[in-house]
Amino acid sequence: MGIHDALFVMQDAETKTLWNHITGEAVYGPLVGRNIGPLSNLLHMSVKQALATDSAMRVAISEQVYFAGGRRFGTASRAARVGGGGSGEGRRLGPSPDNPNAAMTDRFAATLGTEDTRRPRMEIGLGVWTGTTARYYPIDRIRARGEAFIDRIDGKTMLVYVEAVSNTPAALFVSARSAAREGSAVRLDDGSKVESGVLTDRTGRRRPVERPQQMFTRWYGFSLTFPGCQVYGDDR
Amino acid sequence: MARGDRRGRWRRAVGPPLVVFALGFAGPAPTVAQAPSSKLVVSGPLQLPKGPARAGFEIGRLNSENYGAFEPFYVTETQPLGKAFEDGKVAADTRLLVTETAAGRLALLTDQMAYHHLAQGRAGGKDWMATF
Repeated sequence: MGIHDALFVMQDAETKTLWNHITGEAVYGPLVGRNIGPLSNLLHMSVKQALATDSAMRVAISEQVYFAGGRRFGTASRAARVGGGGSGEGRRLGPSPDNPNAAMTDRFAATLGTEDTRRPRMEIGLGVWTGTTARYYPIDRIRARGEAFIDRIDGKTMLVYVEAVSNTPAALFVSARSAAREGSAVRLDDGSKVESGVLTDRTGRRRPVERPQQMFTRWYGFSLTFPGCQVYGDDR
Repeated sequence: MARGDRRGRWRRAVGPPLVVFALGFAGPAPTVAQAPSSKLVVSGPLQLPKGPARAGFEIGRLNSENYGAFEPFYVTETQPLGKAFEDGKVAADTRLLVTETAAGRLALLTDQMAYHHLAQGRAGGKDWMATF
Protein backbone atom coordinates (compact mmCIF):
# COMPACT_ATOMS: atom_id res chain seq x y z
CA MET A 1 0.00 0.00 0.00
CA GLY A 2 3.01 2.24 0.25
CA ILE A 3 6.75 2.59 0.09
CA HIS A 4 9.20 3.03 2.96
CA ASP A 5 12.96 2.69 2.63
CA ALA A 6 12.17 2.29 -1.08
CA LEU A 7 10.56 -1.05 -0.28
CA PHE A 8 6.93 -1.96 -0.41
CA VAL A 9 4.95 -1.97 2.80
CA MET A 10 1.78 -4.00 3.27
CA GLN A 11 -1.30 -3.14 5.27
CA ASP A 12 -3.73 -5.61 6.74
CA ALA A 13 -7.41 -4.95 6.32
CA GLU A 14 -8.46 -5.71 9.88
CA THR A 15 -6.18 -3.57 12.05
CA LYS A 16 -4.57 -1.29 9.42
CA THR A 17 -1.19 -2.30 10.78
CA LEU A 18 1.69 -1.88 8.31
CA TRP A 19 3.96 -4.85 7.75
CA ASN A 20 7.45 -5.42 6.38
CA HIS A 21 6.99 -7.82 3.49
CA ILE A 22 10.46 -9.33 3.83
CA THR A 23 10.66 -10.09 7.51
CA GLY A 24 6.96 -10.28 8.26
CA GLU A 25 7.34 -7.81 11.13
CA ALA A 26 4.68 -5.31 12.05
CA VAL A 27 6.31 -1.90 11.60
CA TYR A 28 3.52 0.54 12.36
CA GLY A 29 0.19 0.20 14.10
CA PRO A 30 -1.43 -1.73 16.90
CA LEU A 31 0.30 -5.03 16.13
CA VAL A 32 3.86 -3.70 16.39
CA GLY A 33 5.91 -6.35 18.12
CA ARG A 34 4.19 -9.15 16.23
CA ASN A 35 5.56 -11.09 13.31
CA ILE A 36 3.57 -13.09 10.80
CA GLY A 37 6.44 -15.34 9.82
CA PRO A 38 7.85 -17.76 9.01
CA LEU A 39 8.11 -16.61 5.43
CA SER A 40 8.51 -18.89 2.50
CA ASN A 41 11.32 -18.21 0.08
CA LEU A 42 10.26 -16.81 -3.25
CA LEU A 43 12.69 -18.40 -5.68
CA HIS A 44 13.40 -17.15 -9.19
CA MET A 45 13.16 -19.94 -11.75
CA SER A 46 12.36 -20.56 -15.37
CA VAL A 47 9.59 -22.98 -16.27
CA LYS A 48 12.19 -25.49 -17.39
CA GLN A 49 13.97 -25.25 -14.07
CA ALA A 50 10.74 -25.37 -12.08
CA LEU A 51 9.58 -28.55 -13.77
CA ALA A 52 12.96 -30.14 -13.17
CA THR A 53 12.68 -29.18 -9.53
CA ASP A 54 9.17 -30.47 -9.05
CA SER A 55 7.16 -32.04 -11.85
CA ALA A 56 4.02 -31.75 -9.71
CA MET A 57 4.38 -28.00 -9.27
CA ARG A 58 1.26 -25.97 -9.89
CA VAL A 59 0.98 -22.49 -11.32
CA ALA A 60 -1.47 -19.67 -10.70
CA ILE A 61 -2.05 -17.34 -13.63
CA SER A 62 -4.04 -14.15 -13.22
CA GLU A 63 -5.92 -12.09 -15.79
CA GLN A 64 -3.01 -9.68 -16.13
CA VAL A 65 -1.47 -9.61 -19.60
CA TYR A 66 1.75 -11.54 -20.10
CA PHE A 67 3.71 -12.95 -23.01
CA ALA A 68 5.01 -16.50 -23.42
CA GLY A 69 6.46 -18.16 -26.45
CA GLY A 70 5.74 -15.09 -28.55
CA ARG A 71 2.04 -15.15 -27.71
CA ARG A 72 -0.02 -12.72 -25.68
CA PHE A 73 -2.18 -13.98 -22.83
CA GLY A 74 -4.51 -12.35 -20.34
CA THR A 75 -7.17 -9.69 -20.60
CA ALA A 76 -6.25 -7.09 -17.99
CA SER A 77 -3.58 -4.73 -19.21
CA ARG A 78 -3.09 -2.19 -16.49
CA ALA A 79 0.57 -1.38 -16.15
CA ALA A 80 2.08 -1.00 -12.74
CA ARG A 81 2.70 2.61 -11.86
CA VAL A 82 5.55 1.70 -9.62
CA GLY A 83 7.62 -1.23 -10.62
CA GLY A 84 9.08 -4.15 -8.82
CA GLY A 85 10.40 -6.18 -11.70
CA GLY A 86 8.93 -8.11 -14.59
CA SER A 87 9.24 -7.14 -18.19
CA GLY A 88 6.66 -4.38 -18.51
CA GLU A 89 6.69 -0.79 -17.42
CA GLY A 90 7.31 -1.89 -13.88
CA ARG A 91 10.57 -3.48 -14.82
CA ARG A 92 11.72 -0.45 -16.75
CA LEU A 93 10.98 1.92 -13.92
CA GLY A 94 11.43 -0.16 -10.84
CA PRO A 95 14.40 -0.99 -8.66
CA SER A 96 13.77 -4.73 -8.71
CA PRO A 97 17.09 -6.62 -8.74
CA ASP A 98 16.27 -8.31 -12.03
CA ASN A 99 16.30 -4.95 -13.73
CA PRO A 100 19.95 -4.41 -14.62
CA ASN A 101 19.45 -0.81 -15.68
CA ALA A 102 17.39 0.39 -12.77
CA ALA A 103 17.94 3.79 -11.29
CA MET A 104 16.11 4.83 -8.17
CA THR A 105 13.53 7.49 -8.84
CA ASP A 106 13.16 10.50 -6.58
CA ARG A 107 9.87 9.09 -5.38
CA PHE A 108 11.58 6.02 -4.03
CA ALA A 109 14.65 7.86 -2.79
CA ALA A 110 12.58 10.23 -0.68
CA THR A 111 11.48 7.30 1.47
CA LEU A 112 14.99 6.13 2.31
CA GLY A 113 16.36 6.26 5.82
CA THR A 114 20.03 6.52 6.68
CA GLU A 115 21.77 4.31 4.18
CA ASP A 116 24.64 1.92 4.78
CA THR A 117 27.37 3.17 2.46
CA ARG A 118 29.61 0.11 2.58
CA ARG A 119 28.25 -0.96 -0.81
CA PRO A 120 26.69 0.93 -3.75
CA ARG A 121 23.01 1.58 -3.23
CA MET A 122 21.79 -0.23 -6.34
CA GLU A 123 24.25 -3.11 -6.30
CA ILE A 124 22.57 -6.48 -6.65
CA GLY A 125 23.33 -9.57 -4.64
CA LEU A 126 21.98 -12.38 -2.57
CA GLY A 127 20.74 -11.71 0.93
CA VAL A 128 20.62 -14.66 3.33
CA TRP A 129 19.33 -14.52 6.87
CA THR A 130 18.69 -16.76 9.83
CA GLY A 131 17.34 -15.97 13.25
CA THR A 132 20.71 -14.56 14.26
CA THR A 133 22.68 -13.75 11.13
CA ALA A 134 22.02 -11.66 8.04
CA ARG A 135 24.62 -11.74 5.29
CA TYR A 136 24.78 -10.07 1.90
CA TYR A 137 26.70 -11.57 -1.02
CA PRO A 138 27.53 -8.98 -3.71
CA ILE A 139 26.97 -10.52 -7.13
CA ASP A 140 30.47 -9.53 -8.23
CA ARG A 141 31.98 -11.46 -5.34
CA ILE A 142 29.88 -14.51 -6.17
CA ARG A 143 31.08 -14.34 -9.75
CA ALA A 144 34.67 -13.82 -8.60
CA ARG A 145 34.41 -17.14 -6.77
CA GLY A 146 33.49 -18.90 -9.99
CA GLU A 147 29.75 -18.53 -9.39
CA ALA A 148 29.83 -21.39 -6.88
CA PHE A 149 31.45 -21.69 -3.47
CA ILE A 150 30.91 -23.00 0.01
CA ASP A 151 30.28 -20.73 2.97
CA ARG A 152 29.07 -21.31 6.51
CA ILE A 153 26.26 -19.62 8.33
CA ASP A 154 25.30 -20.33 11.92
CA GLY A 155 27.39 -23.49 11.85
CA LYS A 156 25.75 -24.88 8.74
CA THR A 157 27.46 -25.44 5.40
CA MET A 158 25.91 -23.59 2.54
CA LEU A 159 26.42 -23.53 -1.22
CA VAL A 160 26.19 -20.06 -2.72
CA TYR A 161 25.91 -20.10 -6.48
CA VAL A 162 24.38 -18.58 -9.58
CA GLU A 163 21.57 -20.59 -11.11
CA ALA A 164 22.67 -20.96 -14.71
CA VAL A 165 19.21 -20.98 -16.26
CA SER A 166 17.71 -18.03 -14.44
CA ASN A 167 21.06 -16.29 -13.88
CA THR A 168 20.06 -15.47 -10.32
CA PRO A 169 22.07 -16.10 -7.16
CA ALA A 170 20.79 -18.67 -4.72
CA ALA A 171 21.87 -20.67 -1.68
CA LEU A 172 21.14 -24.08 -0.28
CA PHE A 173 22.51 -26.21 2.52
CA VAL A 174 24.93 -28.98 1.55
CA SER A 175 27.50 -31.21 3.24
CA ALA A 176 30.40 -30.57 0.85
CA ARG A 177 33.61 -28.62 1.44
CA SER A 178 34.12 -27.20 -2.04
CA ALA A 179 32.11 -26.49 -5.15
CA ALA A 180 32.85 -25.73 -8.78
CA ARG A 181 30.80 -24.72 -11.77
CA GLU A 182 30.54 -27.47 -14.37
CA GLY A 183 28.54 -26.21 -17.30
CA SER A 184 25.07 -25.40 -16.11
CA ALA A 185 25.57 -27.50 -12.99
CA VAL A 186 27.53 -27.10 -9.77
CA ARG A 187 29.68 -30.07 -8.82
CA LEU A 188 30.43 -30.60 -5.13
CA ASP A 189 33.45 -32.42 -3.74
CA ASP A 190 31.31 -35.06 -2.06
CA GLY A 191 30.12 -36.20 -5.48
CA SER A 192 26.79 -34.47 -5.32
CA LYS A 193 25.56 -32.07 -7.97
CA VAL A 194 23.16 -29.16 -8.17
CA GLU A 195 21.47 -28.45 -11.47
CA SER A 196 18.30 -26.49 -12.10
CA GLY A 197 17.82 -26.31 -8.36
CA VAL A 198 17.88 -30.10 -8.04
CA LEU A 199 20.39 -31.70 -5.67
CA THR A 200 21.52 -35.23 -6.53
CA ASP A 201 24.02 -37.42 -4.69
CA ARG A 202 27.00 -39.23 -6.21
CA THR A 203 24.73 -42.03 -7.43
CA GLY A 204 22.44 -39.56 -9.17
CA ARG A 205 19.69 -40.01 -6.61
CA ARG A 206 17.67 -36.94 -5.85
CA ARG A 207 18.12 -35.47 -2.38
CA PRO A 208 15.82 -33.10 -0.53
CA VAL A 209 16.83 -29.46 -0.79
CA GLU A 210 16.94 -27.27 2.28
CA ARG A 211 17.42 -23.58 1.72
CA PRO A 212 18.04 -20.72 4.12
CA GLN A 213 15.83 -17.67 3.96
CA GLN A 214 17.12 -15.70 1.02
CA MET A 215 16.31 -13.04 -1.47
CA PHE A 216 17.73 -11.69 -4.70
CA THR A 217 18.05 -8.09 -3.68
CA ARG A 218 19.65 -4.73 -4.00
CA TRP A 219 22.06 -3.55 -1.33
CA TYR A 220 19.88 -0.72 -0.08
CA GLY A 221 16.92 -3.03 0.46
CA PHE A 222 18.81 -5.68 2.35
CA SER A 223 20.92 -3.31 4.44
CA LEU A 224 17.95 -1.20 5.46
CA THR A 225 15.97 -4.31 6.35
CA PHE A 226 18.86 -5.87 8.25
CA PRO A 227 20.93 -2.95 9.59
CA GLY A 228 24.54 -3.85 10.24
CA CYS A 229 24.31 -7.04 8.19
CA GLN A 230 27.45 -8.94 7.31
CA VAL A 231 28.91 -8.52 3.84
CA TYR A 232 30.57 -11.55 2.33
CA GLY A 233 34.19 -10.77 1.59
CA ASP A 234 34.48 -8.06 4.22
CA ASP A 235 36.11 -8.82 7.54
CA ARG A 236 33.70 -10.22 10.05
CA MET B 1 -9.56 -14.49 -9.84
CA ALA B 2 -12.99 -13.42 -8.75
CA ARG B 3 -14.73 -10.72 -10.67
CA GLY B 4 -15.40 -7.41 -9.00
CA ASP B 5 -14.51 -3.78 -8.78
CA ARG B 6 -10.81 -3.49 -9.44
CA ARG B 7 -10.04 -0.81 -6.92
CA GLY B 8 -12.12 -2.59 -4.33
CA ARG B 9 -10.40 -5.85 -5.02
CA TRP B 10 -6.91 -4.56 -4.49
CA ARG B 11 -7.94 -2.87 -1.28
CA ARG B 12 -8.76 -6.15 0.32
CA ALA B 13 -5.25 -5.82 1.67
CA VAL B 14 -3.51 -8.73 3.18
CA GLY B 15 -6.07 -10.62 5.17
CA PRO B 16 -5.93 -11.83 8.75
CA PRO B 17 -2.51 -10.67 9.73
CA LEU B 18 -1.55 -13.44 12.04
CA VAL B 19 -2.16 -16.24 9.61
CA VAL B 20 -1.12 -15.01 6.20
CA PHE B 21 2.41 -16.28 6.56
CA ALA B 22 1.48 -19.41 8.44
CA LEU B 23 2.99 -21.84 5.99
CA GLY B 24 2.86 -25.22 7.58
CA PHE B 25 3.82 -28.05 5.28
CA ALA B 26 1.07 -30.51 5.85
CA GLY B 27 0.26 -33.31 3.45
CA PRO B 28 -0.26 -32.39 -0.17
CA ALA B 29 -3.65 -31.38 -1.43
CA PRO B 30 -4.60 -31.79 -5.07
CA THR B 31 -5.51 -28.19 -5.69
CA VAL B 32 -4.94 -24.76 -4.26
CA ALA B 33 -8.03 -22.78 -3.50
CA GLN B 34 -8.98 -19.78 -1.45
CA ALA B 35 -11.98 -19.18 0.73
CA PRO B 36 -14.17 -16.23 -0.26
CA SER B 37 -12.42 -13.05 0.77
CA SER B 38 -15.17 -10.49 0.24
CA LYS B 39 -15.22 -9.80 3.95
CA LEU B 40 -11.73 -8.40 3.52
CA VAL B 41 -12.75 -5.73 1.04
CA VAL B 42 -11.62 -2.32 2.18
CA SER B 43 -13.04 0.73 0.48
CA GLY B 44 -12.54 4.43 0.81
CA PRO B 45 -9.40 6.40 1.41
CA LEU B 46 -6.27 5.08 3.01
CA GLN B 47 -6.62 4.76 6.76
CA LEU B 48 -3.56 4.74 8.95
CA PRO B 49 -3.47 3.97 12.66
CA LYS B 50 -1.85 6.43 15.03
CA GLY B 51 1.09 4.16 15.69
CA PRO B 52 3.09 2.97 17.45
CA ALA B 53 6.07 2.55 15.16
CA ARG B 54 8.78 -0.05 15.34
CA ALA B 55 12.24 1.43 15.77
CA GLY B 56 13.54 2.62 12.41
CA PHE B 57 10.12 3.07 10.85
CA GLU B 58 9.24 6.71 10.31
CA ILE B 59 5.71 7.25 9.17
CA GLY B 60 6.75 10.59 7.66
CA ARG B 61 8.82 8.69 5.10
CA LEU B 62 5.92 6.54 3.99
CA ASN B 63 4.87 7.24 0.42
CA SER B 64 1.31 6.04 -0.06
CA GLU B 65 0.49 7.84 -3.30
CA ASN B 66 0.23 4.46 -5.01
CA TYR B 67 -2.54 3.32 -2.75
CA GLY B 68 -5.02 1.90 -5.25
CA ALA B 69 -2.50 1.43 -8.03
CA PHE B 70 -2.02 -2.27 -7.54
CA GLU B 71 -4.30 -5.20 -7.59
CA PRO B 72 -3.20 -8.11 -5.42
CA PHE B 73 -3.70 -11.50 -6.98
CA TYR B 74 -6.23 -13.53 -5.01
CA VAL B 75 -5.56 -17.04 -6.12
CA THR B 76 -8.69 -19.13 -6.40
CA GLU B 77 -7.51 -21.73 -8.83
CA THR B 78 -4.29 -23.26 -10.03
CA GLN B 79 -3.25 -25.71 -12.71
CA PRO B 80 -0.36 -28.12 -13.13
CA LEU B 81 2.65 -26.23 -14.45
CA GLY B 82 3.46 -29.12 -16.77
CA LYS B 83 0.00 -28.94 -18.31
CA ALA B 84 0.27 -25.16 -18.72
CA PHE B 85 3.58 -25.75 -20.50
CA GLU B 86 2.11 -28.44 -22.77
CA ASP B 87 -0.78 -26.13 -23.59
CA GLY B 88 1.58 -23.33 -24.51
CA LYS B 89 0.39 -21.01 -21.74
CA VAL B 90 3.96 -20.73 -20.53
CA ALA B 91 7.24 -21.27 -22.37
CA ALA B 92 10.39 -23.02 -21.17
CA ASP B 93 12.01 -19.68 -20.49
CA THR B 94 9.02 -17.99 -18.85
CA ARG B 95 10.19 -16.52 -15.59
CA LEU B 96 8.56 -17.72 -12.40
CA LEU B 97 8.55 -16.97 -8.72
CA VAL B 98 8.15 -20.17 -6.77
CA THR B 99 6.81 -20.35 -3.25
CA GLU B 100 5.87 -23.13 -0.88
CA THR B 101 2.34 -23.65 0.32
CA ALA B 102 0.88 -26.31 2.54
CA ALA B 103 -0.26 -28.04 -0.66
CA GLY B 104 3.13 -28.00 -2.32
CA ARG B 105 5.14 -25.67 -4.51
CA LEU B 106 3.28 -22.99 -6.37
CA ALA B 107 4.60 -20.90 -9.26
CA LEU B 108 3.56 -17.36 -10.07
CA LEU B 109 4.51 -15.56 -13.27
CA THR B 110 7.19 -12.97 -12.56
CA ASP B 111 5.77 -10.59 -15.14
CA GLN B 112 2.34 -10.73 -13.54
CA MET B 113 3.76 -10.32 -10.06
CA ALA B 114 5.55 -7.19 -11.26
CA TYR B 115 2.07 -5.76 -11.46
CA HIS B 116 0.31 -7.47 -8.55
CA HIS B 117 3.25 -7.37 -6.13
CA LEU B 118 1.24 -9.51 -3.75
CA ALA B 119 -0.46 -12.86 -4.20
CA GLN B 120 -2.36 -14.73 -1.56
CA GLY B 121 -4.57 -17.71 -1.20
CA ARG B 122 -5.30 -20.74 0.87
CA ALA B 123 -3.89 -24.19 0.29
CA GLY B 124 -3.88 -27.37 2.27
CA GLY B 125 -5.90 -25.68 4.98
CA LYS B 126 -3.42 -22.86 5.47
CA ASP B 127 -3.25 -19.32 4.17
CA TRP B 128 -0.25 -18.32 2.14
CA MET B 129 1.07 -15.10 0.75
CA ALA B 130 3.87 -14.12 -1.60
CA THR B 131 5.20 -10.61 -2.14
CA PHE B 132 7.47 -9.28 -4.83
